[in-house]
Amino acid sequence: MKISGTHLLALGQEGAYRLLQDPEVLAKCMPGCEALVRIRENEYQMKMKMALASFSGLFDGTVKIADAEPSSSFRLLVEGKGKIGFMKGEGRLRLSPDGTGTQVAYDGDVQVGGTLAAVGQRLIDTTARMMIKRFFDKLDENVRTTST
Amino acid sequence: MATILTPQATGKLVGKRVRRREDPRLITGTATYVDDIQKPGMHHACIVRSPYAAARIKGINAQAALALPGVAAVFTGKDVAALGPVPCGASLPGLRVPHHHILAQDRVYFTGHPVAVVVATDRYIARDAADLVEVDYEELPAVAAPEKALAPGAPAVHPEWPDNTAFTYHQEGGDVNKAFAEAEVIVKQRIISQRLIPTAMETRGVVAEWQPGDKALTVYSSSQIPHLLRSLLAGMLGLPENRLRVVVPEVGGGFGSKLNVYAEEALMGFVAMKIGKPVKWIESRRENFLCTIHGRGHVDYYEIAAKKDGTILGLKLKLIQDLGAYHQLLTPAIPTLSVLMMPGLYRFKNILADIVGVFTNCVPTDAYRGAGRPEATHGIERMVDMLAAELKMDPAEIRLKNFPQPDEFPFATATGLSYDSGDYEAPLRRALELVDYPRLRQEQAEARQQGRLMGIGLSTYGEVSAFGPSPATPAGGWESATVKIDPAGKVTVLTGASPHGQGEETTFAQIAADELGVDLEDVIVLHGDTAVVQYGIGTFGSRATAVGGPAVYYAIQKLKEKIQKFGALLLESAEVTFTNGNCVCNRNGKSVTLAQVAAASYRAMKLPPGEEPGLQVTYFWEPPNFTFPFGAHIAVTEVDRETGRVSILRYVAVDDCGNIINPLLVDGQVHGGVAQGMGQALYEQAVYDNNGQLLSGELTDYAIPKAGMMPWLETGHTITPSPVNPLGVKGVGEAGTIGASPALVNSVVDALSPLGVRHIDMPMLPEKIWQLLQQGGQA
Repeated sequence: MKISGTHLLALGQEGAYRLLQDPEVLAKCMPGCEALVRIRENEYQMKMKMALASFSGLFDGTVKIADAEPSSSFRLLVEGKGKIGFMKGEGRLRLSPDGTGTQVAYDGDVQVGGTLAAVGQRLIDTTARMMIKRFFDKLDENVRTTST
Repeated sequence: MATILTPQATGKLVGKRVRRREDPRLITGTATYVDDIQKPGMHHACIVRSPYAAARIKGINAQAALALPGVAAVFTGKDVAALGPVPCGASLPGLRVPHHHILAQDRVYFTGHPVAVVVATDRYIARDAADLVEVDYEELPAVAAPEKALAPGAPAVHPEWPDNTAFTYHQEGGDVNKAFAEAEVIVKQRIISQRLIPTAMETRGVVAEWQPGDKALTVYSSSQIPHLLRSLLAGMLGLPENRLRVVVPEVGGGFGSKLNVYAEEALMGFVAMKIGKPVKWIESRRENFLCTIHGRGHVDYYEIAAKKDGTILGLKLKLIQDLGAYHQLLTPAIPTLSVLMMPGLYRFKNILADIVGVFTNCVPTDAYRGAGRPEATHGIERMVDMLAAELKMDPAEIRLKNFPQPDEFPFATATGLSYDSGDYEAPLRRALELVDYPRLRQEQAEARQQGRLMGIGLSTYGEVSAFGPSPATPAGGWESATVKIDPAGKVTVLTGASPHGQGEETTFAQIAADELGVDLEDVIVLHGDTAVVQYGIGTFGSRATAVGGPAVYYAIQKLKEKIQKFGALLLESAEVTFTNGNCVCNRNGKSVTLAQVAAASYRAMKLPPGEEPGLQVTYFWEPPNFTFPFGAHIAVTEVDRETGRVSILRYVAVDDCGNIINPLLVDGQVHGGVAQGMGQALYEQAVYDNNGQLLSGELTDYAIPKAGMMPWLETGHTITPSPVNPLGVKGVGEAGTIGASPALVNSVVDALSPLGVRHIDMPMLPEKIWQLLQQGGQA
């Protein structure tokens, strides 16, 4: 499944780039994220609760940041598995100045398996969109609260 | 051979619409299915299944599962490495048979592949504990579509066979090159018969119980083949067959999916023996979709050659069969049935067929209602329609031109079969009459003028049924019956053709009651318990009535001889006739009842010379040939221009299944069969993504026809008795499914033909048709 979109962050490009790679902020903003622990440079271990339709489950996984070009783009590789299946995702985030803020453009590919695929595939698209929206909503909130 | 157009009762009960004796227990919820079986101390099993279509198993950690209170055991591949394998009963030259362990060893081959089994004191603990089993997988590339699996560089499903080819099979009849050289018209088409999920209402289930004192195992399973299951399971578990009892209680449908031997059946036997407690496993619907066999899975390339006047000269077929990751019981044999039936009902004698059986990282395909024959019929009936369109001939006319005539039977086909009896024009003419064909075509012309997309689709189908003689089948091709009359004169029939919804407790009782001249209520029919019933083959391939029925008939003929001898003894007369349930002296008219004869036979004060006491006969009957039912279906449809939705305006099915034992049950079979054919034509498809994940994993994502989606079915019959068996019956279990899908696709293609549409692949989902409409018919 392909995912793409844009979001305008009310923050300068350098600040936005730092924010998007700050594990503390990410842990707070990623929906269902219960833990995000740095294992090594640009690699984190993640625990995440995911709910899809009538079932939910805990996912154990990793988040990696690759091909980082500071302030303008980086690649995000996410892998997780749990009782209800597994997911793998890969996406590129591109940042560009937009007035006083930063335009974040993302596009990526998500693959799911197990029960998640067998039962939930019709809902994955909308669930993913919803999760991305929640993520950016929280991020916006974070920007607002830290800047005041 | 006379063709009779209206069924008539030939006996007191045979031929009558007797209501099913099975139904009261089914509709009052008092039937016993596997899940209704309770045993003292019974444990429950839950199976851990692979979420990957292809992966290496690097390790399994069951510590957390074992620590959960109530968990009795966890078994993995290494515990059962010496058992099995899951058997493939089909043999073909050069067939590659992967070793099918009952639990995955170091690698998984399809999503849902069983990896471990958790056993606990209740079902919910077992389910929770299964989630705690940690399996460390290393994902490998998978391939989930047969043509992709054949492409160079495709991931190898089984590393030892990198071309993913399990077998190739070639068959020729006549001189196809000459036929194509002489042809005035050749039509080619790629036709897909998609993967389907059988979706029996009752999923599979097993209860296994070990009696250590007797060293005997009892396995309760939802199966179509109790005795074959016993034989094969005994081999898998290393048990002597006489210490294994298989009991098949009520079965909530199978459609071929339970004509199999599954890993879970052996696994539960193993678990019961290991833990010394009865164990139950009931398949969930999701497991049923993932792990019980699928049906169809063809990509077919057809070429048909004909003369300008519509005379068909020959047919070529390249058949690509999606086998899945393993061979289940009959997996590789199914496409060979398609080849056997590729000429359909037509006279042409030149064929060429090549099958490629392809491994994919999917659950195996195997027999599903029609098993190979719906695919063949869909192919030939689509090709004949395309040929008619090419020649601007009427589809009815082209069919009538190519049928063999009734005096040509038995008819030898290009594929080596001998069609037993047939009058192929009769059901087509009857169906055309029922729809008032000329007027219907006129209506269609008017509808088209109004801009409506109305279609009329025909299919004239034939099938090979009633397997089989023995040399033509993987197991024996016979069926068995025991008929016994107890000392009070009541009759018990034991049939080896274990039913799973066909109503043999009714039809076989009708046959027995008529032959013995007793009331229906005086006959009971038992089946499904290998400790009760003599050996048997089972119910599949429309064979129960046509092979199991004659076994009952012949057992009774032998029994009647004995009844007459005991009657003669009682009446002290040499000339005695057994009629209407009484032995009557031909000279003085004195008579004794069957109950008197039965009592005397068991009391055995005097015995007829050379006879044993008692009234019991077992008869194993093998038919000399298959039977070949046929028929004609007509579907009238209309396509909604705005939504692409297909509405069925009329559906007429005229079937010829030879003599009819019970018209009510035959109608029921046709109704159910048409529903499943309609499901394939319009709604159903098993969808795997590129990584081998089953996306249609539940009934929310896999559409089967619901009652409200069914059209009113107008059924009719012609009767061309089969000369193959004494009852003259042919079988009707699969007829509806075989006839329906081509009738519906032909109808919708006809509806869209003004837009230039010449073929649509199934399922004809509104989206697909809407796309065609948007592109002006150009796919």
